[in-house]
Amino acid sequence: MTTLYLTEHFASDDYQRLDGYKRQGGYEAAKRALGEMEPAAVIELLQAAGLQGRGGAGFSTGLKWSFMPEDSEGPKYLVCNADESEPGSFKDRILMERGPHQVLEGILIAAFAIGAEKTFLYIRGEYAEPARILEQAIEEAYAKKVLGKNVLGTGFRHDVVLQRGAGAYICGEETGLLESLEGKKGQPRKKPPYPAQHGAFGRPTTVNNVETFCHVPHIVNRGADWFRGIGTEKSPGSTLFGVSGHVVRPGLFELPLGTPLDEIVFEHAGGIHDGLRVKGVIPGGLSMPVLPANQLDVPMANESLRERGTMLGTGGVIVMDETTCMVRVACVVTYFFRDESCGQCTQCREGTGWMHKIVERIERGAGKPGDLELLLDVAAKMEGQTICAFSDAAAWPVQGLLRHFREDFEAHIREARCPFLESFDL
Amino acid sequence: MARITVDGIPLEVEDGAMLLEALDDAGVLMRDVTIPHYCWHPKLSIDGSCRLCQVEIEGAPKLQIACNTPVEDGMVVHTENERVAAARAGVTEMLLVNHPLDCPICDQAGECKLQDYAFEYGALQSRTREPRRALAKNVDVGPTIVLDQERCILCRRCVRFCREVPGTGELVVRGRGDRSVIDTFPDEPLDNPYSMNVADLCPVGALTTKDFRFKIRVWFLEDVPGICTGCARGCNVYLGVADNKVQRYQPRRNDAVNDTWICDAGRLSYKEIGAADRLSTAMLRGDLGVLEVVGFRDALQAAADRLTRVRQARGASRIGVVASPHATNEDLFVLRRFCDALGVETAGVAVVRGDADDLLLHAEKAANAAGARAMGFEDAAAVCEKLRRGALDALLVAGHDLLDAAYLGGVDGLGDLDTVVWLDTHVSDLQRVADVVLPTRVAAERTGTYTNATGHVQRVTPAVEPAFDARAEGAVIAALGQALHLDGFEVGFDARETSRALSEGVPLFRGRSFDAVGDAGLPLEEEA
Repeated sequence: MTTLYLTEHFASDDYQRLDGYKRQGGYEAAKRALGEMEPAAVIELLQAAGLQGRGGAGFSTGLKWSFMPEDSEGPKYLVCNADESEPGSFKDRILMERGPHQVLEGILIAAFAIGAEKTFLYIRGEYAEPARILEQAIEEAYAKKVLGKNVLGTGFRHDVVLQRGAGAYICGEETGLLESLEGKKGQPRKKPPYPAQHGAFGRPTTVNNVETFCHVPHIVNRGADWFRGIGTEKSPGSTLFGVSGHVVRPGLFELPLGTPLDEIVFEHAGGIHDGLRVKGVIPGGLSMPVLPANQLDVPMANESLRERGTMLGTGGVIVMDETTCMVRVACVVTYFFRDESCGQCTQCREGTGWMHKIVERIERGAGKPGDLELLLDVAAKMEGQTICAFSDAAAWPVQGLLRHFREDFEAHIREARCPFLESFDL
Repeated sequence: MARITVDGIPLEVEDGAMLLEALDDAGVLMRDVTIPHYCWHPKLSIDGSCRLCQVEIEGAPKLQIACNTPVEDGMVVHTENERVAAARAGVTEMLLVNHPLDCPICDQAGECKLQDYAFEYGALQSRTREPRRALAKNVDVGPTIVLDQERCILCRRCVRFCREVPGTGELVVRGRGDRSVIDTFPDEPLDNPYSMNVADLCPVGALTTKDFRFKIRVWFLEDVPGICTGCARGCNVYLGVADNKVQRYQPRRNDAVNDTWICDAGRLSYKEIGAADRLSTAMLRGDLGVLEVVGFRDALQAAADRLTRVRQARGASRIGVVASPHATNEDLFVLRRFCDALGVETAGVAVVRGDADDLLLHAEKAANAAGARAMGFEDAAAVCEKLRRGALDALLVAGHDLLDAAYLGGVDGLGDLDTVVWLDTHVSDLQRVADVVLPTRVAAERTGTYTNATGHVQRVTPAVEPAFDARAEGAVIAALGQALHLDGFEVGFDARETSRALSEGVPLFRGRSFDAVGDAGLPLEEEA
């Protein structure tokens, strides 16, 4: 596959190790960036390439780097967000397990661009194996002077500190992560101040996702035009789609952004199991609104998904077959968000719980007329009014499920029972 | 300064300050501009979590929280339009989803912000069919506070207070989502000298003080502005009064004195006002050597006779005076004049010292030691010295701080004096040696001014009337001066008149009369 670059060498066992990584051209981009380029030129290159952050929000990476104040006295920090907690997403885990040095090389280039001497690599506590592999890679990098006082002989100093989280979805939100990194309860920070002004330990900080870093060496090596030649005009590059659910071949697929969703589901993931039909697909992790079967022709890029009322998110594609009870899906979704809400903002703390109670009641067959309007109203009240986007993330899937599968909900209320006897267990 | 427009009203507020704070500082918040809020508090860090203070700012696509939005010149703010109203209603509904329907039995009813805002912004009818969340009630979080977790709206004011003000950090938010509760660490109770402030901060009935809990419905209380007289800080308080009884103190905001806090000891000192050990009758030591209850006038006349006798027999230099640092400036001004008119050479003020901290608690355990010093009363050490070497025959003593170990350490020696005239509010050992006892009023029963340790002159007005015949110290001294036929004591005592005379007669108090200082007080005039 011509577009493969992130995962091109993942089949090679020695790619995990520094020597193996270098044999595939690893750290050449870092040498070039750190040795031959100015930091501003690196940022310009990233802006020209149009790399969008792969953590879910899709913000321009180069632009984010440019927010870092150049003239601040004292340390600046880079944070690698490896707290991959979005249900349906497992791309970062594979990137860290199979290509830890690719992550580190991206970190080095980013750190050079923003002038940071230290990176905190914050990884979710449940990722024990990726953490072990990264620790090993960091150790190797220090031993071979890829990290430390004189990175790759360029005179640039950089340290990477690996920090394991304790298991909270909100710690994947950049400011929640920073709170947790500082040893506090994981709860988002109000903005302003933004992390670029007041981040980790009060210092200017840039936070990027693991996959975002992984693209960087390739852009430095092959240029902005090459990168823009992949994907769509507004969403360049490839990305990793993690496909799970009722498909024959669940897994991780590196594909250009803009690849149609039906191609991902039916070709790469082998279609729906047992010859059943698809009912709905969540395109970008559990927090994104679901798409019904008749909309799977959508190109998997931010702009086109947004037109369909959903988003690319983390690229975690969750496929549901025709036997799926969408009320039960809503039940699972709302349970998750109720459980994971940090409890800080009123609408999120109370709204997630309220939505779950309503949905759970409907699923039990105790739904009442008006429940669906109430559900939509609660979701609307949660949307766009809280410190972080968690509340939106909790509201969107419910709104999406009701938008496309309202009949399921109405049937539950009408029949006072769940009509999907074959549905999965709660 | 920034020029902004709020609901069409042009305002000039501090540029760069957060909108809510800027409006509060400008004195328009909740007056000209109504922005409801729970988590924001002017003296705590910004939390931004309750989301109630959302406003529309022209140019911003989303509603913004006024507590965390910096003011910019030219900003146009809408606080009352449909979008904002919908957001407020939304937050209010969310807060009520799980709030227990406790109002009839909740101690906060009547001064509960959730109750107020529910009335203002809430729906007429609940839309919930779901069972409400059941959390712990009557949680004993420490010696002074009880927590009802169900009622808590997680504004985290209490958590921030403990971290930011006393710095003890006992309270935390445990759990997450709608299982979040305020709690303490195991075996680490909420126990600091300022713990009871969390009950004032709590906008709902989640945190209540054990002292005031279920004592009286708050709508029966009249809040009278006054000051705490527990130490020389002179923290501003509201005296909650019902049935001619002070039922509680609550802090009153005064940024120059106590921000919005008071210490627990000061807060509980209201109990002294109606205490059982109040001196409630004038007394005179009779021929049998025991104190007998007499009328106020008889006691006063006896005091005048005894002092006259000493003055005539041995001279006024044999009369010592101890001023009370609990008295008002006006009392002390009258006492000063009394001393001068009588020819008293030995006068001082006895001030008990105790624990202090970096926050509010002052070492001087009296409200007006600074006022006494400003009136020329030096430390009572000289009086003590003369007493010890028998250089005095009579003592006029106000208060009982002279008994402190730093002074006489007891009444030994006082019994040898010819005359001891004692003015006080509460019973003490001085009763054993006093020849004349004259009950006086506490601050809550007074009109007058006090000068705190930083030289801030503050006023008090009567919140209650004593149930017995007690008079202001100044009134007693003035009457005594009259009985002694001293010059300048031809007329009686009027606190406001005296205050005016004080402000005209003592340079430090220029322009600091009772009327001039207002409810916020004024610093003493700087010495030339």
